Amino acid sequence: MRAFRSLSPWVFSALLLAACGGGDPSVPGTGSPSGAPTTKGSFTAVVSFGDSLSDIGAYAPATSLAGNGSAPYFGGKFTTNETSTGAPDANPLGKVRVENVAASLGIVVTPAEVGFDGVSVKCPAAAVPALAGTCTAYGQGGSRVTDPNGIGHNPVNGKGALTVPVVTQIANHLARFTSFKDTDLIFVWGGSNDLLTQFGIFLAAAAQIQADAAAGKLTADQANQALFAAQTTAQAAMKVAAQELVTDIRTQILAKGGKYVAVMTLGDAAGTPSAQPLPVALKPVLTSLSQIFNLWLRDGLAGQSVQIIDTFTLFSDISANPAKYGFLNITTPACDIAKISAVTGGAVTTGSSLFCNATPGAPYNGLTAGADVTTWFFADDVHPTTGGHKAWSDIFTAQLKSFGWI
Amino acid sequence: MKTISSLALAAALALSAFGAQAQDNVVKVGVTRYTTHSKTNGVSGIGVPPGADAETGDATTVIFVYERLFTPQVGLEFVLGIPPTIKAKATGSVAFLGDNVLSAKNLAPTLFLNYHFFAPGDTLRPYIGAGINYTKFTNVKSSLASDVKLGDSTGLALQAGINYAITKDLGLFASVAKLDVKSKLVASGASVLTTTIDFRPIVYSAGLSYQF
Repeated sequence: MRAFRSLSPWVFSALLLAACGGGDPSVPGTGSPSGAPTTKGSFTAVVSFGDSLSDIGAYAPATSLAGNGSAPYFGGKFTTNETSTGAPDANPLGKVRVENVAASLGIVVTPAEVGFDGVSVKCPAAAVPALAGTCTAYGQGGSRVTDPNGIGHNPVNGKGALTVPVVTQIANHLARFTSFKDTDLIFVWGGSNDLLTQFGIFLAAAAQIQADAAAGKLTADQANQALFAAQTTAQAAMKVAAQELVTDIRTQILAKGGKYVAVMTLGDAAGTPSAQPLPVALKPVLTSLSQIFNLWLRDGLAGQSVQIIDTFTLFSDISANPAKYGFLNITTPACDIAKISAVTGGAVTTGSSLFCNATPGAPYNGLTAGADVTTWFFADDVHPTTGGHKAWSDIFTAQLKSFGWI
Repeated sequence: MKTISSLALAAALALSAFGAQAQDNVVKVGVTRYTTHSKTNGVSGIGVPPGADAETGDATTVIFVYERLFTPQVGLEFVLGIPPTIKAKATGSVAFLGDNVLSAKNLAPTLFLNYHFFAPGDTLRPYIGAGINYTKFTNVKSSLASDVKLGDSTGLALQAGINYAITKDLGLFASVAKLDVKSKLVASGASVLTTTIDFRPIVYSAGLSYQF
């Protein structure tokens, strides 16, 4: 009795902690999700929402070899691509994480929507009736959480990338399949393009502030205040994006039957080649935008029945220990900007891996001389090679195992 | 909290043990200068540059004091002030953020067990006291965050003072007290900033006393 009495306050506080997801209730973002399944799922579908990191070929028509939107395609995914017809195949070249994870579970997954320049087809795989239920990979390059005008989408004429936002991707899934099923393995990885957008706005503001300071229009203190304000504005926007994503996960996935739901944090964009040209002083701002998003994502998911795959920590480990994951180069994009520009007739000058073909000997091969798609991590300034995607696939699989889901 | 209740218990026992005497109640009203010598453990949070810090300022307020004497030497004193506004300025690497990044009113009731030297009727009577301070922060505001919380603080309080008797009833007092006030700050805006502020206040008070 004595032992019981002295123990009970501890038991009680442990229960309280469990109820609110642990952490320090007075500090937002310190809690954890709780209540996600701990048993193996009988998965028949991989349902994936997100952006280019989850895109399995939404924009393939933009890389039509004939130039008319029809197959074969020389690119189409944000990685080192194979030449493809757009149909699922067994070639490991050009395979991305969502496909790899699905394949490891014996599941076929196809793009939910394919198109470019304002023309698109939903569930093209349904042309083969047996594949009608496979079009559950909603991720599209450039997509933001709620803003339909993602990166690469022309808001005036609707041309360019489709960038269907994550919340609309989820709504589209519900429109097609009515609800989420216990047999759905659900991934949500959004926010990267909100980050890139907000950081772009911050960079423009910072450049103006520095110019004004150099011209003597601002004192050093005023310039610092303005920079701080610009940083805070970007952070506040990331908080909004995270909270919008959380709300949608709660009301449109969990409340609509989603059982096996994995939500990804954002990796540190400062660890990608895109951050290399940045002044050292601005890199922490870039890092902070991921962290702010992740903080409010965690805050909103505390006590929710999801699992978090913390790509921030996982990517930091890849960055710090590339050899552990089999990488010899984690700083240089494998795709060559000049080659991709030539292949696209000068239309693509960013070196986007969407247009990067890795087929050996192909005249439209876009690889940098000496690049290796298995030992170089990055295809372009933000997207992984097929080797990078393979590493992510292995990491995700290990995470799913640790959850007890597979 | 435990200390508070044991102090209260001690006070109740003392009251019953010593019973009432002549002129065993003292009320005081005074002006207090609340000077802080704050230290933090550094401000941490996402996007906070290294070396960011803050420093709290001073405040002046009016205090009301009631002391119950149990013997000619020993009394229990309760001090309550009109909550003043304490402001904090940014320092260190974020000094550019200015002199008013945080403001809060502090309600700080303090209980002292005092020992008075010399005898009743003496013109000058020094006293020393030890006790407990409870500080609650209200109206906590920051230009940097929409939601700011400063935790409550309970800590040791020490004081030394002197009473100068003008008449048998009326006097002047002056005292200096050292309080132990520590509070955890959580400021949630776009980011979440946390720090623990050790206010380390020294409180100078002076005013009128009336004994009855």
